Amino acid sequence: MRSFRIGLLLGFRQIQRASLWTTLLIIFVMMLTFLNLIAVSGVLIGLIVGAERGVRLESLGDIVITAKNDENTILETGSLERELSTFPEIQHYSTRYSSVALLEANYKERRDLSGERDTANVNVTGIDPVAEAIMSGLDDKVIAGEYLDPDDEGYILVGVYYLKEYAMKFGDVFDSVENIKPGVTVRLTIGDTSKEFIVKGIVESKVDQVSLNTYIPEREFRRLFKRVDRNADQIVIRVAEPGEEVAVRDSLLASSLGDYAKIQTYDESKPKFITDIKTTFNILGTFIGSVGIVVASITIFIIIFINALSRRRHIGILKGIGIERQVIEIAYVLQAAFYALAGSALGMLLTYGFLVGYFESNPIQFPFSDGILVAPVGETFIRFIVLFIITLIAGFIPAWMIVRQNTLNSILGRK
Amino acid sequence: MSTIIQAKNIHRSFGKDALFTHVLKGIDLTIAQGEFVAIMGKSGAGKSTLMYQLSVLDKPTEGEILIDDIDVLSLSEKEQTEFRLNTLGYVFQDYALVPDLSASENVMMPLLMRGEYWNAARIKANQSLDAVGLEGKYENLPSELSGGEQQRVAIARAVAGEPKIIFADEPTANLDSISGNTVIELLTQLHKKQKQTIVMVTHEDEYAVNCDRIFKMEDGKIVNIEKRK
Repeated sequence: MRSFRIGLLLGFRQIQRASLWTTLLIIFVMMLTFLNLIAVSGVLIGLIVGAERGVRLESLGDIVITAKNDENTILETGSLERELSTFPEIQHYSTRYSSVALLEANYKERRDLSGERDTANVNVTGIDPVAEAIMSGLDDKVIAGEYLDPDDEGYILVGVYYLKEYAMKFGDVFDSVENIKPGVTVRLTIGDTSKEFIVKGIVESKVDQVSLNTYIPEREFRRLFKRVDRNADQIVIRVAEPGEEVAVRDSLLASSLGDYAKIQTYDESKPKFITDIKTTFNILGTFIGSVGIVVASITIFIIIFINALSRRRHIGILKGIGIERQVIEIAYVLQAAFYALAGSALGMLLTYGFLVGYFESNPIQFPFSDGILVAPVGETFIRFIVLFIITLIAGFIPAWMIVRQNTLNSILGRK
Repeated sequence: MSTIIQAKNIHRSFGKDALFTHVLKGIDLTIAQGEFVAIMGKSGAGKSTLMYQLSVLDKPTEGEILIDDIDVLSLSEKEQTEFRLNTLGYVFQDYALVPDLSASENVMMPLLMRGEYWNAARIKANQSLDAVGLEGKYENLPSELSGGEQQRVAIARAVAGEPKIIFADEPTANLDSISGNTVIELLTQLHKKQKQTIVMVTHEDEYAVNCDRIFKMEDGKIVNIEKRK
């Protein structure tokens, strides 16, 4: 304790008397290191979390009801819908019918009948336009033309990935057609049944399930795809209280609704690869952050080494007058601790006081997601502890190297 | 008077082969408690090297040193540090103050290391500074003091813990004659009033006039012991 007290005095005075600009520069470097450690993995994970959030908001909702593994559709869909309406914990839901069809464009203008037809295999989703707009905000995704009206017949919304001019941006990986715009007539073919639709709107979203889809009113879907049993493929639910999806799912299962369909929360229904990507990005971010830690520890090492080396004579004198080596080492380790604490504190202030909020309001615009900054407090604290300990070691080693030198040689400046 | 320092057959050499230098060549001396002695000689005579051996800052190649009846050469590094803290005081040629600490804090350092409480150490440090004529300069940094004042802080630091022996290595070398005389006067007063044992290295006769004995060195040997009083 005595050594610590005297070391504290020595260390504190060294910081106090040091050049302000040098101190600020070191703290700035430590702050950048901290941000590098937190922000790099935070942005990488935020990219996936942003994408997940998009899927949850615009497609899957909080709870997803799908066909049981041994069934093709949700059994007794009508009864199930009526049951869902009785749950006050459920804010909204939307029933979807989905299948695939062949979309043909420009067939009316085609003169060369022996040439290739302009077609694409597309996902077709039958929706209740009102319920879907409330549930997923699909109406807000219309970038050209108009959204479907509840009584519309013969109208279709087309996702942008099926339009050649948009799909080209993604390397033409999607099956797409040309010259589609609102007002144009297209044809959907399922087996030997075809029906013409007028394109009412083009929808665009960073969520693939929206942009890689076509939407028609559910009545027309059932007629076109001959769904006489009215059984749907998917019901997506938004719960009234965010975070209560597990409890609501359990309530639904307790009401025996699980006999008709598979009921999962969003987290359960999302593909495992998303969790794997998050883990991978976290490891990647930690690795990149670790490089930052190494750089910071070398910086601290050099700073403390130069500091101790330039005071080698004073260190020798302190030892000469009877000050223990340990006291002098503590003084330098405390300096390193000060730099790490000050830099990390500023980094935390910047992260939680500004960056997290800023990226929440102004997400990074990635092509497939609105990237946010994910910085869980627990993980941030662990990374801070790692940075702190490494900084202490980086401060201790040079001090130890200088302090252990021969006392008289240090006093006389001899090698 | 009892013997406080006894050195027998002290040799100190440096380097090997062509670089071999034999600096101290069999020094024998005894210093009594309360004595004020000077070690004098020309540059390269080995006077500072001898002082480093006697003050436990260096280890002779050969020989034996007893200080206060303790064989200091048999002590571990940690024990030597503790011995220096509790028994010896130092005044170096270029003051050797910690530049980041105030005058008062510089004096407090060895006191705190001895286990004194903060307030008690500060009071004692300030009293020591008062005793060397630095009233009101407690909070001054070394850079805010003149050379003479810095050396007086160094003397205050050396005496604050009331060590048994004070070693002064050319304490006036970097000072003008007025400041040099003040420093010598302070050491003389310490010797007279507190019967402090003082071992001083100097090459100027005028600063050794108040010493009890003068060890004259030449080529690593004591060639003459001049008794002044």
